[in-house]
Amino acid sequence: MSVKYVPVQWNRNKWIYDAVMLAGVALFLWIFVELAPGLLSHERPINAPIHNGRAFGACAFVMLTVILCIGPLARLDQRFLPLLYNRRHFGVMTVFVAITHASFIIDWYFNFSPTNKYVAVLSANTDFGQALGFPFEIFGVFALIVLMILSATSHDFWMKFLTPPVWKRLHYLIYPAYAAVVAHVALGVLLDAQNVTFLWIVLIGSLAVATLHLLAAFSETRGSDTRAEGTDWVRICDAHDITEGFAKIARLPGGDRVAVFRQDGLLSAISNACAHQNGPLGEGKVIDCLVTCPWHGFQYDVRNGRSPAPFTEKIPTYDIRLHGSSVMVNPVANPPGTPVDPVPVPQEVLA
Amino acid sequence: MSDPKKPFFVGYLPAPPDLRLFLIVSIVSFVVIFGATGLLIGSTQDDPGPGAGQGRQTVTGVVEMIGYPVIHVTQGTDRIPTGRTLILSSGGKNGAVGRAAPLEGQVVQVSGLLLERGELDMVQLRGGNNGLQAADGNGAVPRPKPLGRWKLAGEICDGKCYAGIMRPGRGLAHRACANLCVAGEIPPVFVSSQPVEGSDFLMLTGPDGGVMPQEGYDAMAEYISVEGEITRHGDLLVFAMDPTTIEVLP
Ligand code: FES
Repeated sequence: MSVKYVPVQWNRNKWIYDAVMLAGVALFLWIFVELAPGLLSHERPINAPIHNGRAFGACAFVMLTVILCIGPLARLDQRFLPLLYNRRHFGVMTVFVAITHASFIIDWYFNFSPTNKYVAVLSANTDFGQALGFPFEIFGVFALIVLMILSATSHDFWMKFLTPPVWKRLHYLIYPAYAAVVAHVALGVLLDAQNVTFLWIVLIGSLAVATLHLLAAFSETRGSDTRAEGTDWVRICDAHDITEGFAKIARLPGGDRVAVFRQDGLLSAISNACAHQNGPLGEGKVIDCLVTCPWHGFQYDVRNGRSPAPFTEKIPTYDIRLHGSSVMVNPVANPPGTPVDPVPVPQEVLA
Repeated sequence: MSDPKKPFFVGYLPAPPDLRLFLIVSIVSFVVIFGATGLLIGSTQDDPGPGAGQGRQTVTGVVEMIGYPVIHVTQGTDRIPTGRTLILSSGGKNGAVGRAAPLEGQVVQVSGLLLERGELDMVQLRGGNNGLQAADGNGAVPRPKPLGRWKLAGEICDGKCYAGIMRPGRGLAHRACANLCVAGEIPPVFVSSQPVEGSDFLMLTGPDGGVMPQEGYDAMAEYISVEGEITRHGDLLVFAMDPTTIEVLP
């Protein structure tokens, strides 16, 4: 949560996150660049710029694959949420690794010619009519541009500036970018390679990304959130179903999700979408009297949908009432930050 | 609803004790995945081939233009025997057509880096007159010997990268580089899947004996079959390909 934008709001967990990420990347590159040449029994070594370019390219692929697995893993099992917490740093690091890959390749394969090396990337091969020999560089250029845009706009400032829905849609570009990376690797490396190890790694990595996303989508459609019925006030669940300090999520007829929280024996209904990045607030929990988002820990007062001062985030609230022990919600959301009186949980439920 | 029994992580608070073991296992797995993939991919790179630079050589010979310049050596070195035919290029992705054409048929001194891969010998000339200049002596271009029309299977490469200035200097990842080289008048070569008259490679020209036509660029680095006339110039085989016969092979 922010009152004023600073480049990074560091905390101990972010330091640990970045240190582990850097250790993984450094180990990959050290083994590939320093150790692997000694293990290759080639009569003559691969040129260093090509070997290094491959190291950074393969590393960027592995990083992107891991990044894209984290989201669905966290949706399938909350214990993976800490891996999601600082993922944007992981993304920014990936861009630097990918740029290094591109620099090695451009300064080697596309250099030393009368044509400008950057122009040559797009002009040296224009044979778009076939898979074999396709100018696969174009896929790499596309993916790199997308990664640079996403990393440049990854800061919360841009999310506020662009509004979360636009920001989110922009960041969905990561999927076409990943598809482009797979095409780049397949057409530029795998079609030609004698050794199939990298082929297997790309297959396993990209299948893992696809499968985890399908599983997460499947578990969400089949998940616990109820579909609330009705046109006027809609029934969400029985008051029994809500545990103290937690919420029940329901999809309203209009498609939005509401989270009904129980705090100190009182029920309140707020939007399920966090003002930060649409994180699922209903999967969070009440900590120190405040609903805490499971993604990055933004907090809201459940009675009015407002972040505690000095923070200024606001989310919509919903009118709520009880009909017997049924929890009923008015599906028309109140403007963000509107206070709503909580309703007490019936005595028999508390008993 | 989140599971009340599962530990709840908040980024700016210390990790819940129940989650610590899971996080330690995740951290170790993460680092192991990166180390293992780096090792697996890095240590299974394909062999880039034996082409390599063999140091600076200075020889004398007679220039012949066959689309691209070659010289027939009249006075060799320990490394380059007299009678050998060398393909010429300049530094970077530049050929030597403009430098050699005015000296066609004349005796010259050639100096530069020798690149060698199997039967393929190419010299990357030093800059200016140090690389190529008229010299005293006698010599004549050997009479070309036609070997008839052939259909070959193999790959078009640029002669300089394939000869070892880049390792690897062939394949799809190198295709754009090869196009730039040949566009810069570096002689292309055809690397045949079966040796022709004892040689795996042939210098490539257009059907009229001029520079490689556009169709050659479109087929660069692909496994193709193509027909054309083969002629022996000194100890160099030259393949005047007929671009209308190019077929991409599976
Ligand atoms: S805190 Fe980031 S989405 Fe809620």
